[in-house]
Amino acid sequence: MLKTNIEEKDGRVVVTPVGELETSVCDSFQEEMAQLTRREGLNMELDLGSLEYISSKGLRVLISMQKAISDNGGRMVVTEVTEAVREVFDMTGLTRSFLVE
Amino acid sequence: MLFLLAFGLLITAATLAAVHLSRRVNMLEETKSLKDDLRAIAEDISRELDTGEEDPYDFLEAVSLIQKQDENFSYVLRDTSGVVISPSFVAGKTLKMKDVHPYKGYDSVYSANVWSHKCLVIIHTFPDRPLELVGIYSDRYIFDDIQYTVHLFFFLVALVLVVLLAVAWLWVIPALERMYARRDRAEGELRIAHDLQHKAVTRSFPKDPRCEVHAMLKAMKDVGGDYYTCVQSGDKLFFALGDVSDKGTPAAFVMFLLCGVINSLFKHDAPLLEVMDSVNKMICDNPDYDMFTTLFVGDIDLSTSEMTYCNAGHTKTLLDGRFLDQDPQMIAGINPDYEYHTQAFRLHRGSRLLLYTDGVTEARNENREFFGESRLVEWMQGRSDGESCEETCKALFEEISAFRGEAGQNDDIAIMCIKIC
Repeated sequence: MLKTNIEEKDGRVVVTPVGELETSVCDSFQEEMAQLTRREGLNMELDLGSLEYISSKGLRVLISMQKAISDNGGRMVVTEVTEAVREVFDMTGLTRSFLVE
Repeated sequence: MLFLLAFGLLITAATLAAVHLSRRVNMLEETKSLKDDLRAIAEDISRELDTGEEDPYDFLEAVSLIQKQDENFSYVLRDTSGVVISPSFVAGKTLKMKDVHPYKGYDSVYSANVWSHKCLVIIHTFPDRPLELVGIYSDRYIFDDIQYTVHLFFFLVALVLVVLLAVAWLWVIPALERMYARRDRAEGELRIAHDLQHKAVTRSFPKDPRCEVHAMLKAMKDVGGDYYTCVQSGDKLFFALGDVSDKGTPAAFVMFLLCGVINSLFKHDAPLLEVMDSVNKMICDNPDYDMFTTLFVGDIDLSTSEMTYCNAGHTKTLLDGRFLDQDPQMIAGINPDYEYHTQAFRLHRGSRLLLYTDGVTEARNENREFFGESRLVEWMQGRSDGESCEETCKALFEEISAFRGEAGQNDDIAIMCIKIC
């Protein structure tokens, strides 16, 4: 199950997925995100502090999001991560490419 | 298909009915006046035959008399037993007396149905000879009002059918066809993807007395993307197992491509780093792929049991019930400039390696718990030394399936087991 909170403040968009980004919800999550990533110069903060699990297909969605945002002149920063997600990031060598602050 | 067949039959039937009916309707006017003519002719014939010559053999004259009056008249001669003597009867049919009915009180004139055409039949029996002259006014329909009404009804029904079918033909069928085509295409693509995935992975494993290899793949119909390959080149055993991060046809095509590239590099003794770089750059150079792959590649020198390996973001390979030391490295297909490095480890006789995809550790049961790494390690520690690689692979599939219970498979599962003998 995944619930996504989207909040806009001071020109930044804070996206907080809550729950599990597993294979079965990846398509709907990506569709929801596509509404945002289309914007020019989007400044997105991705808060993964409430994400309990991410599948490899979920990783792909994050990578596609990051690519789409930077193609449109924006920037995506991951602010918080849970231990479980951090482990996956470390294992896949993505920790640095997501700029975990 | 059945629907189209039924549709075709209906169209044919309706067309035939319409053609048949239009012929009949055209005849209507003609037959109305014919009826009157016929009545007059019948009267004449009847009079001629009744008051004819005494000579009973002169019937041919009577026939020619009839034929002079109407060319549509024909006749047949027969004896009273019903055997046809001169079968020049136009419709080729002999009538029995019980099938004919007196026509409106005329002598010698009867009505009869010949092949469902209503005809007037003229019969005369010569008194002293067992011969009858049968004349039939045929080739034209005697079309009465009831028949006309019945035919009109059928014509209208056919007309409504034709209109309905035209609607179906123009709107309903194309819409259905589009729907089916979409569904078939989607199903066909998935089937191709599924086939591709199973055909791409290695199915015959190196047969060398110094090692044993077995691998299995259980792909989801709509996910797809796990792959593996294993090649022996001289003393070296090369192996790779990975997971493309997309699903359906695109993932299947990329994994097919990757298997080919990796296989061919393995066969040419390419260093592992070259294999990793090729895979990484191949995906990065095609941004349209919009996917990446986790990949574990390794080679074992069978003469020294020295293993070299590289893990690009893949699940951690197990060696004899514990994790092999693996530096986390970036998944392939994200950064074309990423520099991979290899690690080495010396195996020994009886060493057993287990490579797997995240479909194993992330299999879930009804309580949504993961199978997880610790369960896998524990399971691996419980294997007996004598077990073959094939048995190990099968046992792990069974273990996962038992763990999952009622919950269905949620991702591809690929497993490879390598044992040093």
